[in-house]
Amino acid sequence: MSETGTGGPIASDETFRRLGMAAALVVALSVGAFLALLFLSGHVIPGRQLINYGLLAELAQPSSDYYGAYINILQVFLLTAVMSVICGVFVGLGRISKTPLTAGIARLYVEFFRGTPFLFQIMAIYYGVPAFFEPGTFPLTNFTWPAAIVALTLNHAAYSGEALRGGIESLPTGQMEAARSLGMSYVQAMRNVVLPQAWRNAVPAVGNDLIILVKDTSLLSVIAFPELISQFQYTYSQQFEAWAPLVLVGVFYLTITVPLSALVNYAGEVADPSRRAEP
Amino acid sequence: MGGGDDGTESETDGTPTEAETVRVASGIPYPPFEMMENGEPTGFDYDMGAAIFEEQMGREMEFLDRSFDGIISGLQNGNYRVIMSAMTITEDRKENIDFSDPYFTAYQTVAVLENSDISSKAGLRGKTVAVQKGTTGAEAADDLQTEFDGDLTVSRYDSSASAFNAVLNNQAVAVINDNTVSAEYVNQNDEELRFVMGDGVAAEQRDDPPEYLTLSIEEYGIAFRKDDDEFRERINEILATLRENGTYDDIYSTYFAG
Repeated sequence: MSETGTGGPIASDETFRRLGMAAALVVALSVGAFLALLFLSGHVIPGRQLINYGLLAELAQPSSDYYGAYINILQVFLLTAVMSVICGVFVGLGRISKTPLTAGIARLYVEFFRGTPFLFQIMAIYYGVPAFFEPGTFPLTNFTWPAAIVALTLNHAAYSGEALRGGIESLPTGQMEAARSLGMSYVQAMRNVVLPQAWRNAVPAVGNDLIILVKDTSLLSVIAFPELISQFQYTYSQQFEAWAPLVLVGVFYLTITVPLSALVNYAGEVADPSRRAEP
Repeated sequence: MGGGDDGTESETDGTPTEAETVRVASGIPYPPFEMMENGEPTGFDYDMGAAIFEEQMGREMEFLDRSFDGIISGLQNGNYRVIMSAMTITEDRKENIDFSDPYFTAYQTVAVLENSDISSKAGLRGKTVAVQKGTTGAEAADDLQTEFDGDLTVSRYDSSASAFNAVLNNQAVAVINDNTVSAEYVNQNDEELRFVMGDGVAAEQRDDPPEYLTLSIEEYGIAFRKDDDEFRERINEILATLRENGTYDDIYSTYFAG
């Protein structure tokens, strides 16, 4: 009654802090209970072992096909990460172009690849492109890999391009103007002054997209790309055991995304312009 | 008195009265063998049951929907007289129940491009085959991979249509799949696709093998209780009659392309 200030806050700062802590605890306890139930189900519910540990050990053996699938998604990720960022630079430059034709085409590109599901794009490429050929005459007999790389690159170049555009547009226009007034050409100014700074701004967004790229490889299961989700489906249909392969697949994805996320955070801190400005 | 006293059919041993209703259990849906259409059961098994029990025996048929995983214990408990549910005849099942003569045969077949140079099972060595995930065709491909010491790549697609597209698009040399499903694709695209011909498992085990190469056979039978021999023999005779008088072919062609 007495301490409420003007505007009547719904909760004091201290209450808000405590509510937040309580909510976080509830979530943590629920997740903890779920995991305990899952991993210790054999002890909690008699006769109900959710994870077949024998099968899990078998699937985790070095000879298991899961490692082949894991190597495959690592390879396709590394390749498309590099290619989509390179292509993304051109998309980003196209988006900020003052030439209406270039800017328009870049915009259409981004609208299309951000506006349609990746699942649609991969199907359009893998099933749609060979349909231009007479049955049996399509020249690429192992089209799964090229289709996967092209589809992931086209899709993620659109997101990287937008991230870079955001980085460029967040720079003061004075940067470009100052560089041009010193006699630099547009290309020189872009390459030596604008892009290095814009790049730092774009690091968190590009990094975030790379993490999504790792997860998007799971959608390649629809084109019979030998990746982890296909391996899960195979084990599940053979053994009717869901949790053992699910646990393994989850761990495999996290071994890529958790280090990648740490790397992205680190890169974001190093590239932070406010820290650079100190010396 | 044997078991099987469930109120609807109280047959005494050896003398089943023709007027009694025959209760048939089926795990619906499993198209095209059993499915519901406008609230009524239909399918290959349903039509076969109607032909056997209603047309040939002059009895009423009650077609019951039962979950497939508990369908055998229900038969043993006497809840129904027979099971017609695309049930594969296996040695394991024969320990608990008896089967009629096979009334349906499913083969795992190999379909390739019309102009393919693959003419035998050995021709698949070192190649890529397409299958639908989780099917018996995928299992047959796995077995073949083992037979070839791993020298076979199996591409697993979500649907049979995708597996056939993979062959049309040069991503795999063959589809390994059920003959009934594959025949529909081969017939629809008969200028582009064909079966690999030749003797296979079917030629070793049957007198009238199909012309195409068969990698494995599954035979479906009507299931009976162990103590129902007389009824089972009667139905074996009727099955033979239905094959002779063309009823079987009529029902078959209603649901399958080839």
